[in-house]
Order: sequence, then C-alpha cells, then structure tokens
Amino acid sequence: MSSRPDDDELDQRIETLLRAEHDGNPLRPALEALFDRYRTQQRLLDRLTRISDHFQQAERDRGLNYADRYQRKVRQIEKIVRISDRYQTMLRELNDRLHLISTRDELTGLPNRRYLLERLDTEISQVARNGGTFSVGLADIDHFKSVNDTRGHAAGDAVLAHTARCIQDSIRDYDVCARWGGEEFLILFPQCAEDDAFRLAERVRHVVEDQTRALGLSPAITLSIGVTEFQPGESLDATLKRADDALYRAKEAGRNRTVGSAPDGA
Amino acid sequence: MTTDNLNISETSSTPAIQANWEDGTVHMQGDSYPENSFELFQPVIDWVERFLREAKRPLRLELDLLYLNTSSIRALMDILDMLEEAHTRGTGISAVWRYDAANERVGQLAEEFKEDCTFPFEITART
Repeated sequence: MSSRPDDDELDQRIETLLRAEHDGNPLRPALEALFDRYRTQQRLLDRLTRISDHFQQAERDRGLNYADRYQRKVRQIEKIVRISDRYQTMLRELNDRLHLISTRDELTGLPNRRYLLERLDTEISQVARNGGTFSVGLADIDHFKSVNDTRGHAAGDAVLAHTARCIQDSIRDYDVCARWGGEEFLILFPQCAEDDAFRLAERVRHVVEDQTRALGLSPAITLSIGVTEFQPGESLDATLKRADDALYRAKEAGRNRTVGSAPDGA
Repeated sequence: MTTDNLNISETSSTPAIQANWEDGTVHMQGDSYPENSFELFQPVIDWVERFLREAKRPLRLELDLLYLNTSSIRALMDILDMLEEAHTRGTGISAVWRYDAANERVGQLAEEFKEDCTFPFEITART
C-alpha cells in the first residue's frame, strides 16, 4: 500500500532532518526512535492490509465457485427433469396404445368382447345401486359362412368391417356395440327396457340391410338379432343366455329379423 | 476390487452391465428402473473412475438402453460427465447409443444425453 503524497513529503522532511548534523539536540534521539517506530507500524499495516485483501479475494473466489457449482447442479437437475418427463410421456403413449389394442377389435375397430364385458359389469353394478335397467341385443350376420366359402376370407372380412360400421352408425351415442366373436355383435342399450331395445335393434337391422342393398351387394347382408332386458339379481351369463336363445329363435323363424325374449316376444 | 471386469446380469428392472478392462468398454443394455440406483450404478461409476485413473487408455461406452427412471438418468449423466472431463484432459473417449428404429423417441432422448458431450457420440437406429 503506497502512502499519500503528504505523508511522503513529511517522511522526506524528517529523513532530511535526521541526516543533518544536529548533535546535542535532545529531540533528535527521540525523533529518531519515534520515526523508527512509525516506520515499523507502517510496514505492519501494509502487511495486514495485504493479507486481509488476500483473504477477501479467496472468500470471493470461493463464493463464485459455490455459485458456479450451484448453477451447474441446477442445470443438471433441469436436464434430468426434462429427460424424465420425456420418458414418462413415452410410457404414457405406450400405455394408451396398449389400452387401445387390448380393448379394440382390430378388424372392425369396434370395442372387443373384453371391453364390453367390463362395461356390462359396470352397468349391472349401476342398476343394482341406482335402479333402472338395461338391455342387450345379440346380432349375427345371416349366412355369413357362405360369404366366406364362396367369396373368400378377404371378402368375409370386408363384410364384417362394413357391417360393423353400419351398426356403429345406427346406434345412439351412448349405446355400445362390440364384436362379440366370429360374425356376432353384442349391443348394449343402457337405461333401456326390452321394448325400446327391440325398436332400436330393428333400426340397426334395417340400416344394415338398406346400406348393403344401396351398395348393390347380392345377396344383401342381413342380421338376425336376439334382444333381452337384464333382470335384477340375475347373472350376466343368464342375460346373455336369454339373448342367445332369442337369436336362435330369430334364425329358426327365417332370419333377417329381431326377436325379443319376453314370453310372447317377437 | 480384485477382478478387473464388471459383469452385472440383467433383471426385469435393471440392465445388463459389462465393463471390460482389457477392451476398455462399458456396455449397458435393457431397462433401468432399479429400486436403489446407487447400489446398481456405484460399482460402474467406481470402475470408470478407476479405469480413467489407472489404465491410461481410450474408453468406449456402448448403450442399448430403453427405459430409464429418474435416478438412473442421473447416474448416467454422472458417468457422461466423468467421460467428458477425461476427454478434455486428453483421454480418448467415445460413445454409441443404439436404439430400435421403431422407437424414434429413444433416439431423441439419446440426443438429450449427448447434448453436453464434446467427445464422439454416435446415435444409431437398429432396423
């Protein structure tokens, strides 16, 4: 640390005085001793200041180092979060896809049997809790086997997909139609007694027939449908068995018709 | 550690990990969502550290990883940081990340990992 100009000037004046011959002046030894002490103090102060400055610099560097490391850590964590989020998105999309695959019928795009079974379970629970009712319609494409036999499986698949689209278009938004197996479709009519379900099934049957006639398919694709209403307390199997029996009667009675399960049903 | 190689078998939630001292390679393959990622990756981190310190030879990282949970992401980033540091000190470092071409997202994620690495880092789609 350098002294101020005033100090330098005073130092020089005293040094000059001490160099001159002033023997016998009683102030001289005292001044000499005092100046010496002053010089020592000055050096000490300079050293102290230098050391103190060094410490401050070191602390400052340490602080910057911490800040730097902190920033790097923050950056790393942000990156981990970003990558982790992307992995999660990837898994979610995969999950959605698997869900879709496990609940859809690939050929027709309709919900599959597994999906509708779950829906029917839910429906039964709701009826048990809140009352109300629901009906189901089991539809089967008439003479489907002959389509496969005479025109091949590709044509059979096309008929299935087309029929599925017709059914899907002719039911209400909250009805659910699933491909039940082979050329069978099961339609759930929520909050619907048997006579209403019967009318809705008839609409489906007409749409399928009209649509295929419009396409000029010969022979036309027609459906036989068995309709029944869920009876409180019974098992789902019992309901489905009744729908199946009704469908059987529809086939027996000459096909291309809807049959209900009520004693005088049809 | 007495053996120079590391050989960790794959489980349903952890990847297969092989580190070969002779070849200077570390290979990880599979999914990684271990319950304790420290337990799984610390031996790998130790091995890489020791190799970089003692072997004075190039090191190659080969990754065939599919899914990583958050703590595995962190461990892998720590390993890549170590490699980056070694690379800036002059050690020959290279990495390759191979992924199934049908799963383009994994390739994009590999790009994220690569971002801060200045050593050769290949990302290749397997068809």
